[in-house]
Amino acid sequence: MRVGWLLLLAAAVGVGRLPGQTIHSAVAASVVTARVRTEQLGEAFQFSGAAFGGEGTVSLGRVQLGLSYLQGRLDPDTGNAPARDLVEGSVLLGVRPVEWLTLSAGPHARAYAASGQTQRWLYWELRVRAAKPFIGSAVRGYAELWRAVAADANVPEPFDHAQGGEAGMIVRLARAPFEARVAYRIDHAVGERGWKPWMAW
Amino acid sequence: MRRHLAWLGVLGCVLGATPGNAAAQSADSLIVTGMRAYKNLEFDVATVLLRRGVAQLTAANAPVAQRAHGLVYLGAAELFRGRRDSAVAVFRRLVLLDPRYRPDRLVFPPEVTSVFDAVRLRTKTVAIVVPRDTAIPLKDGALRARVVASSFQTVNVTLLYENGTSFRPLYFGPIGDSLEVQWDGRDAAAQPVPVNRLLLRVASRAPTGELTSMVQLPLDLKINRPDTLPWPDAPADSALRPERAASGPATRAVLGGLLLSAAVVSLPAAVGSHDTPSGPRVAVASAVGVATALGYLLHRSGRPLPANIRANDAVREEWRARVAAVQAENVRRLADGRLQIHAGDPAAIEAAGP
Repeated sequence: MRVGWLLLLAAAVGVGRLPGQTIHSAVAASVVTARVRTEQLGEAFQFSGAAFGGEGTVSLGRVQLGLSYLQGRLDPDTGNAPARDLVEGSVLLGVRPVEWLTLSAGPHARAYAASGQTQRWLYWELRVRAAKPFIGSAVRGYAELWRAVAADANVPEPFDHAQGGEAGMIVRLARAPFEARVAYRIDHAVGERGWKPWMAW
Repeated sequence: MRRHLAWLGVLGCVLGATPGNAAAQSADSLIVTGMRAYKNLEFDVATVLLRRGVAQLTAANAPVAQRAHGLVYLGAAELFRGRRDSAVAVFRRLVLLDPRYRPDRLVFPPEVTSVFDAVRLRTKTVAIVVPRDTAIPLKDGALRARVVASSFQTVNVTLLYENGTSFRPLYFGPIGDSLEVQWDGRDAAAQPVPVNRLLLRVASRAPTGELTSMVQLPLDLKINRPDTLPWPDAPADSALRPERAASGPATRAVLGGLLLSAAVVSLPAAVGSHDTPSGPRVAVASAVGVATALGYLLHRSGRPLPANIRANDAVREEWRARVAAVQAENVRRLADGRLQIHAGDPAAIEAAGP
């Protein structure tokens, strides 16, 4: 079994509007404390480290397009495994049938690089996200779940399934140009024969 | 022979002035014929003609000047007939009719004018001269009435209700020739007149204080005020924001915080991972809990909402300003009201002889 979990500490988001008031755009910068755990043949390895990323969203009416990129370095918490670099990115196309609900889908790529070897994963994900203000209009809570419908990886064992989720809150004070986000996120992936490849989110 | 012809003329005039023909024109003819008889020194004939003519003028409510003209000739004729008492009575009647009247000293000899003056000095009466129709501003206007006296006397000028009770005294004191009295259209408490009819009465008194005569005239009153503006309606409840926080936001903060914290804590189980460290989850859930507690405190039920209070105060202040403007406009309009006064015919009330 492989478990990856991370804590999104903070994200500063700027929101802008293009002329015409029809296309909305937002950009965000993230500071992430990430932990990655993998199990292979009964042996578990655990890594942790900081990662930095950015993301942007463009929405037109009820349709939105989201891009994200994250990069960091993971050091081993136990054993003498070498440190690994983490790089991931995603492109998600979403739609909001109602104001508080977003459905999205798209590719999600992740790579772990260590000692000249690189594991590459490409997930095709479906996501559902619900968000709603719960402290006045200043604090919004949200929860998101996703599941990979297909995956492609340069690892020997076939892919079985992968899923994950994120929950947290976004604080935006009145008249402030930025908002802050605190959230917890976890990904979980499993191979068909119990071989547990690297997994992050 | 001439005397007989005169009597025939008198007879003809008297017979011709039957009640059915008691018109002013025939009365005038009697007066003119009587004056001619007086100038012809036919005082008996003149007396009959003038008395008859004056009676007809009085019955026809002829102008005071015409009646006074007839009375002075009648008094003079009676005097020259040797009937001084009758002359005095006629002159007294003339003075009461028109205190301002004076015999023409180019027409009547000193015997007549001296008797008339003696009667006038003994007869204490007045005439009230008021415009027939007047409109005075309620704010600072005044009705001006001139009281003309027959001779020096003491007068009491009073406004009365129709039932005779006093409404407002205007003047009490001596009067020589004439006196102007003013009434501002208000009662003794300086309030606008509350009735639509008053009596202006002037009571004349002899030097002994004895009431000698009264003259009064009715005043029909009507206050014309411009319409005042209605006050603007007070702000409706729907126009005001709640000034105290309802329980909904606090409840939503608590329930939302609990739900979100539970979601954070149970997220690994939801995705099929059961052996994850709890530290990061608890940290995020704790942050949500702190935010929830703050949110509850900030949105607790009954908490004053300063922004809404300020907004409501602005709405109420704007309403009060509009009310003040309407009040000022109404005060101005009320002050612009006018009192229309229609003066009726004066009536002399003789209290007692001197």
